[in-house]
Amino acid sequence: MKAFNKWIVIALVVALALLLGACRQAATPEPTSPPTAPPPTKAPEPTKAVEPPAEPVTITYWHTMSDPETAQLEKVVAAFEAANPGIKVETTRFAYDDFKSALLTGLAGGEAPDTARMDIVWAPEFAEQEALLQLDGVMPEFETLAEKVFPGPLATNYWKGHYYGLPQNTNTQVLLWNKSNFEAAGLAGPPETMEEFAQVACELSDPANEQYGYALGGTYFWAPAPVFYAMGGRIVDEAITTADGYINGPESVAAFSLLKDLYDKGCLSPNLLGGGIGTADGHATGKYAMITDGPWMVDIYKGAYPDFEVNFALVPKGPDGTTSSVVGGEDVVIFATSEQQEAAMKWASYLLSEEAQKMMAEVGVIPTRADLIGDPSLPEYFDIFLQQLQTAQARVPHPRWSDMDGAINNAFQRMLRGDQTVQEALDQAASEINQMLAQ
Amino acid sequence: MRISPKRDRKETLTAFLFLAPGFALFLLFLLGPMAYSFRISFYDWKIVNPAKSQWVGLANYAETLANPIFRRAVINTLAYAVVTVPAQIALGLAVAILLNQRIRGRAAFRVIYYLPVITSWVIVSLLFEYMFIGQAGLVNYVLRDVLGLISENIFWLADPILTFVPIHLLGIWKGVGWTAIICLAGLQAIPEHLQEAAEVDGAGVAARFFYITLPLLRPTLVFLVVVLTIGALNAYISNLLITNGGDPLDLTHFVLTLMYEATFGRLDFGAGAAISYMLTLFVFIISVVQIRLLRREMDI
Repeated sequence: MKAFNKWIVIALVVALALLLGACRQAATPEPTSPPTAPPPTKAPEPTKAVEPPAEPVTITYWHTMSDPETAQLEKVVAAFEAANPGIKVETTRFAYDDFKSALLTGLAGGEAPDTARMDIVWAPEFAEQEALLQLDGVMPEFETLAEKVFPGPLATNYWKGHYYGLPQNTNTQVLLWNKSNFEAAGLAGPPETMEEFAQVACELSDPANEQYGYALGGTYFWAPAPVFYAMGGRIVDEAITTADGYINGPESVAAFSLLKDLYDKGCLSPNLLGGGIGTADGHATGKYAMITDGPWMVDIYKGAYPDFEVNFALVPKGPDGTTSSVVGGEDVVIFATSEQQEAAMKWASYLLSEEAQKMMAEVGVIPTRADLIGDPSLPEYFDIFLQQLQTAQARVPHPRWSDMDGAINNAFQRMLRGDQTVQEALDQAASEINQMLAQ
Repeated sequence: MRISPKRDRKETLTAFLFLAPGFALFLLFLLGPMAYSFRISFYDWKIVNPAKSQWVGLANYAETLANPIFRRAVINTLAYAVVTVPAQIALGLAVAILLNQRIRGRAAFRVIYYLPVITSWVIVSLLFEYMFIGQAGLVNYVLRDVLGLISENIFWLADPILTFVPIHLLGIWKGVGWTAIICLAGLQAIPEHLQEAAEVDGAGVAARFFYITLPLLRPTLVFLVVVLTIGALNAYISNLLITNGGDPLDLTHFVLTLMYEATFGRLDFGAGAAISYMLTLFVFIISVVQIRLLRREMDI
């Protein structure tokens, strides 16, 4: 019965396809080769001069860049279009908070863009939804480009055996220290070890006057991540199978204990629990002597506090003597629904070209190409971030990362509020994350 | 004179023709999506590949009801309605009675009281959040440095209960103007001679309010209770902005912020659809019960 039904369906589909095909052919007498046929491998490729640009192809690119980055992107697009006549790139900018729902609405309505630049933690999530085009073995230049970029950011595109994007730009957090706070307290420079860091944070604190040695933007994982990774903390094992012994392991517990201790002693601003002075403002106005943040702070301070002297330092070293931090950034992805995959691949690989990466670097965007390290055209302050990136770690590349982030966030809240000890809170987070991994 | 059945039919047809465009839009943009999301609520919905969605029956509903975060969100939403609806009506009525007097600058006051209604939810939510900031907020400054009522700053937004102070205040502040305008319309419909007659009979201000104004205002008040309750149960923007959707510890959600998080945060469209259907059903029942109860009283 079932088989019979299947045959009827197939017969109907074939009949319909023939009918539609006939109509279409009658309407537009065109060669019948499929539009996405792979280019013949043996035949010599026609040069651009010989083949006039056929019908121009327009591809869309969605992103969440800042004002100066968006202005610079227009130049990148112009350069790409000049080099690739026949391809037009239409860019659309979104606010970060609206971006995921915009992409989803687009996908659901069949109006998704051809390409997008999305947060590295989203790539596995969209790959799991089968929204993204697999690039390894499909995109001609993928292997060449993959070898050129930093391995950490590249890994964020990996899901279930394949790569679904390329790292377009990267970043990490380093320590920002307010020189005038340090000088007023008679301190020479930023702390180099976590032990020193905890001590200095308390020396620079005066809670009665809203003065704190260290401040975090919140309890979401990105905020404590530099301290967490520098202290040797881990969320899950390498193969992403269990959190037990990792998020609640001794290193992770030590990391959160350090922060909890600072908070209890009034050396960590209470703003992280919600509703306080923001870290950027607090740091520039001398209320927060130290914060951890990314390369974009240079431009933010240039606009909001032009007289403030920004000072960067590596995240203090943990007990094992190494510094670490967290990898951030964005991946360029191609959507599986794109009808212009060939042009989209050209655009994606251009975004990773030396030319485009250098252009974006002018406005503070850190390139992902390892071969650009030490390039004289890069801004000077990139050095510290590139150095920090060598040991910075990626968050868990998993579709349920948002939920894992939530579990750690809540554990951090519970320990700060004194509802649970650090160990109890992280034990609970471990069992919650294990449930997510089991699904 | 009787209208001939033929003409009657013709007029009906004309009426339907006039109604058709509106009804088509209603069907396309309201009923259609509603029916579609009702279907989604029974699936483990795959947004990119709807064909791969799996039928899960009532699992989305059962899981939502069993979720302690959802239960807390229901309590928060009901508390918001219980606090803000009576407060808006009481204050709105008071403002309406004042605006109904022959006072100088009456038109200006009406505009001023109505201004919060037309301001953007987003902007005033952020303003209220800013006023209630723990370290440098205006409210803490007034309470601590001006009035000396507290000795240490209160971290309003870090506390799962105190967070609702700005959210409730905002809801009331923003709603009073609209409530007052509706009450004012109701007040002006009360014949003046009734008030005058009562005054002649020796009724004082209080007696006139309780025996003339309030009973005659009942239809207006019934309307307000029903509409404001529906509005309160659908509250969303202020909570999303002030608590960032549930901070701290997912204790401060409203039903709709949870629906948003399930749908666009976790991409669990089935759960999101289930939550919105449960809310719709609840709002419908509450509205019917309210209208029944209040109307019966009115008929006596």
